[in-house]
Amino acid sequence: MEKELEQISTVPGVGGSFLCDNRGDVIVSSNPAVLATVTMNTIGREVGRAFVALQAAGQDAPRLEFAYNTWRLLARDIGDAVLFVVCQPAADMAMVRLSADVVIGSWQKNAAAQKRLQRHRAERSALVNRTALDHGSWNSWAIIQSRGS
Amino acid sequence: MPEGLTGSLAQLPLGDLLKMLGAGAQTGRLELTSGLDTGDIFLAGGAIVHAESGPDWGEQALFRLFSWPNGQFRFEPGLPAPDRTIDRPLEILLAESARAAGEREAMRRVIPSMDTLPRLARKAPAPSVTIEAADWEVIALIDGQATAGAIAAELGIDDFEAIRRLYRLRLSGLIDLAAPQAAPAPVRQLAGAQFFQALTTAVAAALGPLAEIIIDDAVEDLGFTRATLPRDAVASLAERISAEIRDPEKRVRFQQTMLAMLRQQAA
Repeated sequence: MEKELEQISTVPGVGGSFLCDNRGDVIVSSNPAVLATVTMNTIGREVGRAFVALQAAGQDAPRLEFAYNTWRLLARDIGDAVLFVVCQPAADMAMVRLSADVVIGSWQKNAAAQKRLQRHRAERSALVNRTALDHGSWNSWAIIQSRGS
Repeated sequence: MPEGLTGSLAQLPLGDLLKMLGAGAQTGRLELTSGLDTGDIFLAGGAIVHAESGPDWGEQALFRLFSWPNGQFRFEPGLPAPDRTIDRPLEILLAESARAAGEREAMRRVIPSMDTLPRLARKAPAPSVTIEAADWEVIALIDGQATAGAIAAELGIDDFEAIRRLYRLRLSGLIDLAAPQAAPAPVRQLAGAQFFQALTTAVAAALGPLAEIIIDDAVEDLGFTRATLPRDAVASLAERISAEIRDPEKRVRFQQTMLAMLRQQAA
């Protein structure tokens, strides 16, 4: 899996990439890591929840893109995990998305990668509960769920 | 104070938040995030005692955090500060921050962009001029070509420090500032006929005999023709076409082929 992340890093404008499980724990990251582990954990956890919220609201999305002044972040949902690619604003995002798709495709056919993903498997919906969220987020989640159902 | 107080700086500005924590004589860490930027402010008995943001710490870090237009905060009560780098009371720090923000705004009006081109003034502003050593480093790099951004990079200082030095030199009349010149539009290389031949083969392998029509539709959707499609739109074209491929294996194979072609083009 490390080798595939290296391929993404060769795309012009890509700073690095990492894969988080649904709890936000880093499964694998490009070397050197593009962000501090704690930052990757936070991004992984929060974006994982965002994917659950979108799903619950009936707006299933396979990917999210976050654009900041100095960064772009592609989050690609693969069910048991989320692949993140950190880019410069000028990166050709179509090429970045294409590279991410190719990497995910190769992991899907790779037994070792699948085994590694299985070890980190955690149902996202089970991770969204009252104790894991602050009061405001829990209320928002309840509203989303009630509207989605 | 509730455990793990969180919120948005857009709704509760940092100054007001610190006043509130100060009034409650709180001790702990205020964690701030804005995009991928992070910072920490530590309080002890309501007083700010330490701040960290990127490479900065102390008051410099605090003022940097005050300059964030938006972001999120989280207060963790009880956490002790790892260091003590700030001694001045909150009211003075807030006043200082407001003054620094005003100064930043004034500087931004004079030097609105890091593409601004500084030039030495033709005439000295006075018979004798005193120049700070830091400003001299800037003067030594002014050659009529180097922009504010290039000077900052050459000196290894951040944009704000470069702007501050150029602003001082401008106020003293030692330099003039020219608006950035618009760069000529770069010539976009075209994808070319050879690319379309290879693309047709790849699309035909994935989607069959309708390849030519699918390619033409996708090119048209992007606002080009085969004759005008630039190389930097090839990835977008590949993405559009791959969305048409329903078979996951064929889609990945097509994407791999396109990625290899894109890498070849870039090499």
